[in-house]
Amino acid sequence: MESPVCVLGAGAGFAGDRIDPAVVLARSGVDAVVLECLAERTLVPAIRARRDNPQAGYDPRLVRRLTPLLPVAREKGCRIVSNLGAANPVAAAERIARLARELGLPGLKVAAIVGDDVLDRAAQVRWVREPGAPLLGAHAYLGCHPLADALAQGADVVVTGRVADSALFSAVVRDRLVPGEEALAGAIGVGHLLECGGQLTGGNYEPIAGAGLPPPLSAEQYARLGYPLARVMADGSAEIGLPAGAPGIVDALTCSLQLLYEVHDPSYYATPDLVVDFSGVRFDPVGENRIRMSGVRSKGPPPTLKVAGFVDRPGFIMDCEIALAGAGARERAEVMARALRLRLGDWADADISIDLVGAGSVLRAGSQLLRGAIPELRVHVSARCSDGEQAQTIEDEVYAMTLSGPAGGSSVRSEKRPRIEVLDGFIEHARVPTQIVWSQS
Amino acid sequence: MRVGDIAAGRAGDKGDMLDLSLVARDQAAYELLCKALTPERLAPLMNRVVPGPVLRYEVPGLRALKFVLPQALPGGVYASLHPGLHWQKAAIWLLLDLSIEDEGRSLLAPCDQPENSP
Repeated sequence: MESPVCVLGAGAGFAGDRIDPAVVLARSGVDAVVLECLAERTLVPAIRARRDNPQAGYDPRLVRRLTPLLPVAREKGCRIVSNLGAANPVAAAERIARLARELGLPGLKVAAIVGDDVLDRAAQVRWVREPGAPLLGAHAYLGCHPLADALAQGADVVVTGRVADSALFSAVVRDRLVPGEEALAGAIGVGHLLECGGQLTGGNYEPIAGAGLPPPLSAEQYARLGYPLARVMADGSAEIGLPAGAPGIVDALTCSLQLLYEVHDPSYYATPDLVVDFSGVRFDPVGENRIRMSGVRSKGPPPTLKVAGFVDRPGFIMDCEIALAGAGARERAEVMARALRLRLGDWADADISIDLVGAGSVLRAGSQLLRGAIPELRVHVSARCSDGEQAQTIEDEVYAMTLSGPAGGSSVRSEKRPRIEVLDGFIEHARVPTQIVWSQS
Repeated sequence: MRVGDIAAGRAGDKGDMLDLSLVARDQAAYELLCKALTPERLAPLMNRVVPGPVLRYEVPGLRALKFVLPQALPGGVYASLHPGLHWQKAAIWLLLDLSIEDEGRSLLAPCDQPENSP
């Protein structure tokens, strides 16, 4: 049997993901655990935090996430690669080194990868549309090479800001692959497949009923869901599976869904290092919850790097709701929604949305409305507001329904959000130099 | 027949783009979905909920169809006025709950409203 050159585990798929799956993976003997914790918009609070405090701006869950993981990783010789650095990888590396000292783990080498922040070069970015308001931040998606270089120089932990999620994985295997683009393309494909953690192993997945597929996971299985690992071969193909004893589903369906997830053209998936073609990918079962992945092809390096810009629009989005319950809740809610629209007549239709939560608020006109009586629901108002006073007006008008609207308005909750929009752009590779900054416990 | 009876699906987003993936349970189901779920038929249904065109990519090796709506989420999910921020994670039911008939001949339509009585 072919033996892998590297075993990778995906220990987290977003900032708020579970802590324990990474520890299970490290204990199982993988060579590296990757923690993907930085969604497109997760950078926004990090940029704000760094603006207020130069030592902040890394993932606020860093200590909670790494405290149980670092000792196991040290014991097992498992490396950790993560974008927990968010808007401040150097401060993150220093904090990780300090945490290692606090945990009695001296000599841990932590590499911070710097260079993704291109706000000072925003004018050199080709944006898909004019920002139209000040940019809060602009971060280029880095590729695997600075991370792989840091690992080659002996890093135990590599911490980054904005990096293509798949590059967090391909960095670990780069130097173990046969030379050439095709093997690296395979590793990028493996990284893309693994980057969302439990979404590959049966999470956020509903099997097709009656198709002879494994049944949906039970509550107990969801609660202990195993996160994926990949045994990567020298040619960039891989065997996808689960840690021994961990529940989950890894089959051609779960793998196919995740391969296509958040991809635009499957035959042209642009990453910082290579454009890869998923159209010829095969998923072949090789055992229970074990799938062999092959067939990712390279289409050569991309012309530019992608940049995510965050546009800081003035004002807020006020997001507020109120509950109705008991017989006739639906009818009273509909009257209340109409009354609120009359009260909030200053808002243009495009800037306000009033929905009944429990009756089509998610899919709206695409919802299949239930016919029977609804025991309770919530009238929901979201509105773009130019300032805090306007936002307060929305909340006050909803609250006033408790005294002056249809009977039984109750349980008001609200949230005031800054108005951040995500804007894509592109920048030349040569304008995004990177650097490794070391910390040690 | 409901699309979700013959395919599994998942929704994702990147910036303004909403993406919807379907993987058919077998070859016959894949061919049926290819015939029934054309961008021309889907666009008016999708545009009841989100703006912009519908693009389709076929991945026959995986029996998968990929639908991309590049302008569906103006300004990204963070700019949405939907209750909560992540409604788009449920958007795959816009496809799964569509009704198609054998060979995809009949008009694509939302499924009949299910009864909610005990």
